[in-house]
Amino acid sequence: MLSRNRAAYAFLAPYLLIFVTFWLWPIINSLLISFQNTRVNPWRFSLSANWGRLFGDPAFYNALYNTLIILVIQVPVMIALATVMAVLLNSPLLKARPLYRFAFFAPVVVGEVAYAAVFRLMFSADFGIINKLITSVGLSPVSWFDNANAAMALVIIAITWRWAGYNAIILLAGLQSIPDDVYEAATLDRVSKFQQFVHITLPLLKPIISFCVVLSVIGTMQLFTEPFLITNRGGPGGGTETLGLLLYRQGFTSLNFGYASAIAYTIAGLAVAISLLNLMLGGEKK
Amino acid sequence: MRFKLAGPTAAVVLLASSTAFAESGQITIWSWNVAASSLKATLEGFNKKYPDIKVTVEDLGNDQVYDKTLAACAAGGEGLPDIVSVENFEAEVFWNRFPDCFADLSEVGYTPEIQALFPEFKRTELELNGVPYAVPWDSGPVALFYRRDFYEKAGVDPATVKTWDDFIVAGKKVMAANPGTVMAQADFNGDSEWFRMISNEQGCGYFSTDGETITINQPACVATLEKIKEMKDAGLITAAIWDEKIQSNTAGKAASQMYGAWFEGSIRSNSPDLAGKWGVYRMPSLTADGPRAANLGGSSLALSAASENKEAAWKFIEYALTTNEGQVTMLKAFGLVPSLLSAVQDPFVKEPQSYWGGQAVWSDILVTLPQIVPSRGTAFQSDADAIYQATQTKYFAGGYPDAKAALDDAAKQIATATGLPVAQ
Repeated sequence: MLSRNRAAYAFLAPYLLIFVTFWLWPIINSLLISFQNTRVNPWRFSLSANWGRLFGDPAFYNALYNTLIILVIQVPVMIALATVMAVLLNSPLLKARPLYRFAFFAPVVVGEVAYAAVFRLMFSADFGIINKLITSVGLSPVSWFDNANAAMALVIIAITWRWAGYNAIILLAGLQSIPDDVYEAATLDRVSKFQQFVHITLPLLKPIISFCVVLSVIGTMQLFTEPFLITNRGGPGGGTETLGLLLYRQGFTSLNFGYASAIAYTIAGLAVAISLLNLMLGGEKK
Repeated sequence: MRFKLAGPTAAVVLLASSTAFAESGQITIWSWNVAASSLKATLEGFNKKYPDIKVTVEDLGNDQVYDKTLAACAAGGEGLPDIVSVENFEAEVFWNRFPDCFADLSEVGYTPEIQALFPEFKRTELELNGVPYAVPWDSGPVALFYRRDFYEKAGVDPATVKTWDDFIVAGKKVMAANPGTVMAQADFNGDSEWFRMISNEQGCGYFSTDGETITINQPACVATLEKIKEMKDAGLITAAIWDEKIQSNTAGKAASQMYGAWFEGSIRSNSPDLAGKWGVYRMPSLTADGPRAANLGGSSLALSAASENKEAAWKFIEYALTTNEGQVTMLKAFGLVPSLLSAVQDPFVKEPQSYWGGQAVWSDILVTLPQIVPSRGTAFQSDADAIYQATQTKYFAGGYPDAKAALDDAAKQIATATGLPVAQ
């Protein structure tokens, strides 16, 4: 029996070797590093240098707060928008459907650096088209990059622009799996379109929606590119600094790998907690 | 052996041959953008002197040099080139964390006499515990770049702008006479350059000069932050990141910009159509007779401990950085300001510059070099700067009763992050 297993492990060995070297070892090692003061040479064991600092660090709470704000505001808005887009895309009245589908999906195809540069130009305080539009309807211009709230709004707008279409396409696939005869029966019973949407579409779409929510939550927990590139490394003054950015700043700008590891473990813990919560809330009641 | 040599002679021959060896070979340098280009500009002169040393300058980009050097040092010096460009404010992170990664330059020929050729404020961050790890390269003596035509239209003579209060009065006049312009711009989004420039002028900084205590809440720093808010609230300074400052310059929307003197090259190359319209004057002070010199930015060259050709590499550093010829070549070509004190005496420095309306900008800027007070970046610079920026944003938005409270909070946060005490 053991020799039979041995062959199996021999075939698995290449994968296991890579897994242990590039996954398991870093995971264990970063836990060990998180217990060391990495700002002295050589590193020394210290519980307070990282874990002690983490729970009293305003920068950590600020990053946590920013991440949660994006989670609480951006994810529901985007999913709602994506659902509406999916329903409209599914409408039999729509002509040139493939073109529209592609148009809504296109933002995902655009490179992040390229779209970040375009957003920066569009939202530029003095020369951007957005402020030109705002002032043309008589409102005062918004300083998108040096006002923390405006910068946060900008990040949310950017992520929504990029990912709403992507989610809409996933939801559209879900819509198309709902059989037409359900709607036909409802129409015969004189159920209004809106009630059909609330009582048929949404319940049948629920598993797809919760899948989209899970994907978006994971994406938000790891959010890095937009606040790094569009609002200039989480600016102004940390106003859009997410947990991912804080981790990067501690690890690669301040060279404080111990603290960065402690932050990484905290993010992982939070992701697990949120996933469990999602599982509990979204689970089928039996 | 066919002929026998006496011991001492052999030693002399060995020594001579090792010197000869030093004057040949190949060395590689990591650098970025204009800095890399200016190093390349010195090669012609260098190779006239040392034709057998082949120098390769690799332009990797600023962040990449920092990241790659860090990674290489963490890997025990594996893969480092002979010479690395190091920005001053990031420098101490390297010496503190990886002291074995870089060569002690006093062992290759960086004598106290050569060290004395540079101003002290440039050396503070490059020498740790008496060991020099890098040679000062360029520096950023702060200057106010202004639009002559805008100031003239408002009847403002820059020679009369001696304090920041004068600057505010002048700014209101300039903006009234030139609708659609702003007096100056500061990066309130992702930088702290105005605070660092004015506080350095006033002899204050995030940390004390010895790097042992936090001094960000000292009176001079508090006065600096108050004045910046006053200028911002008066509408004199608007927020603009680097790109937007350049755009505003070109579009004629900014009447002045304050930066390290290396900004000269950026104005000259980005706004060639505005030749003759720009000028330079010294930064104002907080008090009538207060100091008017500060530094922002600047880099250095360090020698990697793993270099197999330290002598040749040192010859290059020596030529490029410690001779007038090398430093002035870089100044002429790309506007890199020499930190070498004797370069101020070079004839080029006194020449009027046509782009700058015939003003001899370099002698006006470089004369402030010896007056600059050292400012310490320390290994905790990026932590302190991030905390300062967050505090500044909150203070501007009314989150603190006054500047003192804001900087007290910043000092407390920096203490938590670094473990250093706040100076009393």
